[in-house]
Amino acid sequence: MTRYILGRLLSLLFVLLMVSMITFSLMHAVPGGPFDEEKQPLPPTAKANIMRKYGLDQPYWVQYTKYMWNVVHLDFGIPYQQPTTTVTALISSNWQITAQVGLMTILFAFSTGITLGIVAAYNQNSWIDNVVTFTAMLGITLPNFVVGSLLIFIFAVRLDWVPMGGWGDGSCLAGRYFCSDWVLPVIAYALTPMTVIARYTRASVLDVIRSDFVRTARAKGLSERIVMTRHVLRNALIPMVTVLGPIIPDLITGSIFIESIFRIPGLGKYFVTSTFNRDYPMIMAIALLIALLWGLVYLLTDIMYTLVDPRVRLGSEGGR
Amino acid sequence: MNKFRNAPVSLLSVLIVLSLLLAACPAPGAAPAAQAPAATEATTVVTDTTPAAAASGDAMTTVFGTKLPDDAAPYDEQIYTTACSNTANMTTMDFAVSVYTRYCLSDLFQDTLIDLDKDFNVKPASAEKWEVAADGLTWTFHIKPGLVWSDGTPVTAHDWVATYQYEADPKHAWDFTWFYAGVIKNWDEVVAGEVPSTTLGITAPDDLSLQIVTTKPFPPLPGMMKFSFLMQKAALEKYGPFYNNDPKTSVSAGPFKLVSLEPGKKIVLTANETYKGFRQPRLKGYVGIFMDLSQAFESFKKGEINDIGYETLTPADFELIQKDPVLSKNYLRGFGDFRTDYLLFDTFNPPFNDLNVRKAFAHAVDREAIVKNVYGEIKAMPAYAMLMPGFPSSDTKGDLKQYQNYDCAAAQKYLADAGFAEGKGFPSLELWLRNEQPALQAVFQAVAASIADCLKVQIEVSNKDQKVYMDSLNAKPTKITIGAISYGMDYLDPTNMLGIWVSTGRHSWKNEEFDKLIAEATPLVGDAAKRDQMFRDAEKILVDDVGGVFIDHRWQGTLYQPYVQGDSIRVPDSNGISGPHWGNDWVNGNIYIAKH
Repeated sequence: MTRYILGRLLSLLFVLLMVSMITFSLMHAVPGGPFDEEKQPLPPTAKANIMRKYGLDQPYWVQYTKYMWNVVHLDFGIPYQQPTTTVTALISSNWQITAQVGLMTILFAFSTGITLGIVAAYNQNSWIDNVVTFTAMLGITLPNFVVGSLLIFIFAVRLDWVPMGGWGDGSCLAGRYFCSDWVLPVIAYALTPMTVIARYTRASVLDVIRSDFVRTARAKGLSERIVMTRHVLRNALIPMVTVLGPIIPDLITGSIFIESIFRIPGLGKYFVTSTFNRDYPMIMAIALLIALLWGLVYLLTDIMYTLVDPRVRLGSEGGR
Repeated sequence: MNKFRNAPVSLLSVLIVLSLLLAACPAPGAAPAAQAPAATEATTVVTDTTPAAAASGDAMTTVFGTKLPDDAAPYDEQIYTTACSNTANMTTMDFAVSVYTRYCLSDLFQDTLIDLDKDFNVKPASAEKWEVAADGLTWTFHIKPGLVWSDGTPVTAHDWVATYQYEADPKHAWDFTWFYAGVIKNWDEVVAGEVPSTTLGITAPDDLSLQIVTTKPFPPLPGMMKFSFLMQKAALEKYGPFYNNDPKTSVSAGPFKLVSLEPGKKIVLTANETYKGFRQPRLKGYVGIFMDLSQAFESFKKGEINDIGYETLTPADFELIQKDPVLSKNYLRGFGDFRTDYLLFDTFNPPFNDLNVRKAFAHAVDREAIVKNVYGEIKAMPAYAMLMPGFPSSDTKGDLKQYQNYDCAAAQKYLADAGFAEGKGFPSLELWLRNEQPALQAVFQAVAASIADCLKVQIEVSNKDQKVYMDSLNAKPTKITIGAISYGMDYLDPTNMLGIWVSTGRHSWKNEEFDKLIAEATPLVGDAAKRDQMFRDAEKILVDDVGGVFIDHRWQGTLYQPYVQGDSIRVPDSNGISGPHWGNDWVNGNIYIAKH
């Protein structure tokens, strides 16, 4: 197992290298640069000065090599959008907020989605099942910025129950805990993953309910509670690991729509603004961050498999 | 390993428990509710950090000792909230650092040398008077005595000299250097790094005199000083150009000073109690709330913000505003920056190197129908020339309309004369837009449709990334065959709006007579009527030779809460236009929050 993990981590380094090369090539291939003039052309000498200041006057291979050398030393450069800070500081300060929203969303989406899926499966073809299925369809088809706008209109503007957005400005329960301005973004953000999880859970539980070992368990006279917790859920939730893993990096890196609409000063907006503004250091750092997260999550997912399903073996263990 | 076989069941329980635990964690960076400024209620935001609160004697007296109007809310409620885009590229509070990436609420930390009244007349601000020497080149601005920075040090002419030297510094590569190109002595040479910044034609003979030497006589110079935004020499040297991004190093000579700047969250300013300038504010503070501007109208309706700009309002919002008696009364229209939307061409290459083709396009746009049915008359008026009526030397009588009016029959004839009768053989075109918002996309879609319908030509509209567009436009030769763009003035002189059309500017159009007229009219002193006529003649050439096809002049405007009051926005100018006027910095000292 250790050798397998080390091997995967080494391959992840190779993936990061490839991602950095592809991202670097693509961002320089796109027309327009970070210091293009908005209204009138800069004098050529002034333009040359600013390009020199940021090292953009050097050949691409020199720029890339220097960048990667700095990255190895954990220096990701200065973001053009926020020249008074560093990329590392900017990402870490904004990512804290994004990660917290993302983690709350994951917990809300997973717990609610799994519960709804189980309830729907145990009440198959009843009105409960129909409601869950309809909600799931709605959640999948409605983009989160539409849901977000609707939630704001209904609960913030019309009913005035919660603030329209912000971060740390809303009223909080128990002193400064659980602030009201977290409610709408978490619900809007969680809706799609929640419904995906509910649908997968429902299908998986239905599959297990009809299996022979469950029929046997019931025939032995076990209570329905024990059948469900020990036999149905234990087996039904194993395939969910495959579904749940890839959702996580998406959620903890933020969404420009959710963060913009709900005024959350997180990382999500930089995915778009960095590209629009040709903020090369931020583009590179974000691409590497996402590649790293995806790589780690897939590795963890594979490891999780060995924990929840003893039939699964990793690497050379699988051949035994 | 077997113990993990219960993991699926345990996982669900753990998730729910973790969910509750995480919810109980305070948010990183979240201020305690009791300490956080109350940004959700526009009129109840109180920033405890302000010394202004303590200094005022009674509830209706400002920190400057002036009385609020009778209908005003108490001073503690004089907090003005506004929306800031949370996706725009913002890096600085200072004009001198970057013009195009300023934070909202910038330019309140200093006064410029001059200001404008509602009829756009130049009036004193930080400079109490100015004069030009007999040679027409040397201008002396006399700084008002007694102006101070918030750290107690005096504002001097040396601060302006340092600011201008920093702006021209080639290492800085300021995004607005073009503004003074060819105007201020040695400006171009300093920007190019050929001579040191100390040789710039801006000096301080004494603490209160600022001398500016121009390369040639330049009558609009005082008006140009609308952009003489100031930085403190000492802070610039000690902390570098971003000193105003941090309350600890920020220093202000303007009506407000920085309390906090949290990008993506909010900017809080409070009245600068040391301010001695010409616009002592009635407001106690400003709060800029970062938000997705698509949500700003909802935020306005909820009362979170006090104003919303026209560019943020959608056509649906405008429909609502026009139907609502309160909203419509408080949507205050203004000239803005006299912005004109127009089509530009590559006139150095086919098909637009043929004047007949350009004339055909100019006459094929049904501007009146487009403004009435697509753009909306509340937002624009049809344009037949570059200068919006009301701008100096503009065509207020409509004499230029004949050159670009909608006349489909004439347009078809011009195209036939160019060899493309009924559009046959005419190449398919892609009309580039510069990352326009949906409302303007619709306008230019309608423009393309009008041309295509009249001339039977193929035009596809393509909304380009802003940087791709500008990169292609500024390329020599240009990469844009036909594009749509807008331009608004930087200072109130025809040389600014027409000057961008000279052959060294951003457009691929050249007319030697036009260039000559602009070059001669710009420095002309002593004969205002002749200068005015020369600009009028130049504009006639521009429209007749179809350097561009002029589509509309934008009416700009702001929707205010009914309780935002002040003569600066409520009393009309001589043209009957009441809304905020470009360059009227005195607005910030005049507006107030009324009781509501």
